[in-house]
Amino acid sequence: MDIREKTQIALALLFPAAPVTEVPVVAEGPPPPRDAGVVIQDFPRCGSHLDVLCRPDQVVAVAQIMDTEGFFLESIAGVDWLEKQQLEVLYDYNRLGGEHCRVMVRTLVPRTEPVVPTISAVFPAANWHERETFDFYGVHFQDHPNLIRILLPEDADFHPLLKDFMP
Amino acid sequence: MGTENVPSSIVQFAQLDKLLNLGRANSLWPMTFGLACCAIEMMCTGGSRFDISRFGAEVFRPSPRQSDVMIVAGTINKKLEMAVKTLYDQMPEPKWVIAMGNCAISGGPFKVKENYNVVEGADKLFPVDVYIPGCPPRPEALLEGIMTLEEKITGKRRWPRVHAG
Amino acid sequence: MTVPISLRHDETFVLNLGPQHPATHGVLRVILTLDGEYVVKAEPVLGYVHRMHEKLAEGGTFAQFMPNTARMDYLHALAFNHGWALVVEKAAGIEVPERAEYIRVITVELNRIASHLLWWAAFLLDLGGFTPLLYAFDDREKIIDLLERVTGSRLTYCYMRFGGVYNDIDDEFIAGTRAFIKRLRSRMPRFYHDLVTHNIILIKRIKDIGFITPEQCRRYGATGPVARGSGISYDIRKNEPYSVYPEFDFEVPVFDECDSMARYMVRMHEMEQSLRIIEQALDKLPDGPVMGKAPKVLKPEAGYYYSAVETARGSLGYRLICDGGKNPYKLKLRSPTFSNLSLFGEVAEGMLLADALAFMGSLDLVIPEIDR
Repeated sequence: MDIREKTQIALALLFPAAPVTEVPVVAEGPPPPRDAGVVIQDFPRCGSHLDVLCRPDQVVAVAQIMDTEGFFLESIAGVDWLEKQQLEVLYDYNRLGGEHCRVMVRTLVPRTEPVVPTISAVFPAANWHERETFDFYGVHFQDHPNLIRILLPEDADFHPLLKDFMP
Repeated sequence: MGTENVPSSIVQFAQLDKLLNLGRANSLWPMTFGLACCAIEMMCTGGSRFDISRFGAEVFRPSPRQSDVMIVAGTINKKLEMAVKTLYDQMPEPKWVIAMGNCAISGGPFKVKENYNVVEGADKLFPVDVYIPGCPPRPEALLEGIMTLEEKITGKRRWPRVHAG
Repeated sequence: MTVPISLRHDETFVLNLGPQHPATHGVLRVILTLDGEYVVKAEPVLGYVHRMHEKLAEGGTFAQFMPNTARMDYLHALAFNHGWALVVEKAAGIEVPERAEYIRVITVELNRIASHLLWWAAFLLDLGGFTPLLYAFDDREKIIDLLERVTGSRLTYCYMRFGGVYNDIDDEFIAGTRAFIKRLRSRMPRFYHDLVTHNIILIKRIKDIGFITPEQCRRYGATGPVARGSGISYDIRKNEPYSVYPEFDFEVPVFDECDSMARYMVRMHEMEQSLRIIEQALDKLPDGPVMGKAPKVLKPEAGYYYSAVETARGSLGYRLICDGGKNPYKLKLRSPTFSNLSLFGEVAEGMLLADALAFMGSLDLVIPEIDR
């Protein structure tokens, strides 16, 4: 069993209600909405092997599974979906050497109150990445040891990458 | 801080002023103030192909107290602008500023409507003597900027102007 | 509230390194808490050259972002161009002709050598030696001349387009590159290794300094020569090959000692391996067009795309989210130096100040890439 299958099985335990599905080959228009679960992606087309959509409170459990399987945290990004009034936090996991597998983990929070638990206890790399996401989007990471701005001046009072921000 | 009136000296030199200016112009000591990409072209100018030491300016001083000219090479930020202003104030008179590259002249490629963090030009903070356009300007352009500064200090240009063609 | 010096029980004091400092490779500020000469705590402060690249990507079209990619890491700008071209070609389904792929590889590897030469020069400048800078810049100027013939710029290249490259290479470029390979190979043993690598002062300054364990690399996400100097064999050109890298026979240098000397040797060997790749690419260069078919107005399908390339500093990632419009909806740049620097605070504890600076130099920092 290769690493992608192993990780997929370990992650699917977190989502007992949703079966693991493949992305449909005919894709016209935006992908269909889904609540939660693991989707296998077409690696040459999308650049990642697995796409995991989880609830905000499951983020730490997912990070612990990835740590046990030997992945490393590559980056954390935020996305602002203005029409849906949601902010998305996107985690990219990858492997250092050996078999290759890239996993994308996404979680959606409401735009007015974006709160996500921190994973910096599992991966210290998340410390700076979460500070950056807070800086750009205003996402508050609970229990982060030092959630202050990292790239903008400390006394800035705006979050620049929100879609409705224009200086 | 606005402009200040520096009182003229009690002792007026005449021909000695010209000699002092000649000395100042031919031994400009720059401050190492590379901020971004233009800093690499400044380092190339200090290398042996373009050789800024022909013009007396290869002694890059890290401390502003020991330098004559501040070559602002790179983009100035809102987070950095207080530090840049402090460095300018710490330089002793007579001092000059060369704005190297488009970012130091006017904000360069970052002067867009979404700009929330870039100061649009070094001359928003302090007076600039020579502007060198380019992104990044070639080392020859920086040398031409140094020669223009020398002309500004002494009143005469010592080096022949090179024309294309 | 600050405690007066006389009432403090410990002997530490806080020293501010930067943002203007000759050895911080740009505008990096490090707040050091020192006990004499020993570093008790080191905290890097970033953001002094944050130039809003991710916001600018959302404001313009895909093609308008190409010049921005070069300004982030200006020392290996062609690799950043390459990564952006790859992710947009993935999203829009654009094919690249083979000759263009080979030209991309040749120019990216030449740029990698130039970047390592400048790292070498700046590293030794930090340690106090000025002469290696003159030798390295001499070789670097030869590379820049070759690339300027073909791309038009010296430092911030905007050479790649979606579907290929915009200018073809000619015979004079090929002859010049072969001459340069011969020249660098003949100069390496004497000017680089005899003068510097086997120099007792360098060995004393960087051997056994700055240990980064492989587990620390994984926990902080360090990649590139930093990871390869700690025994982790991870190179995107081998593990996740892109472009025509599978056609070439080259090695990935990996050293197990985990100290600054190992990272130094990784980069010196990488320069030799890049020369091998360029030679093989010149021998196998096919004929054909250099630009594939790409629509005038790019509107890739909506979705989440990722592409990774190996730059001189580590693995660079572009996370692109398209919504079907002509602007990117969101672009996240995964910068390798951001992750490499995040372990500085943990590793520099307990070091002497001079050793901490030698360690920082061995990480090969380019601050505009961290701040984007």
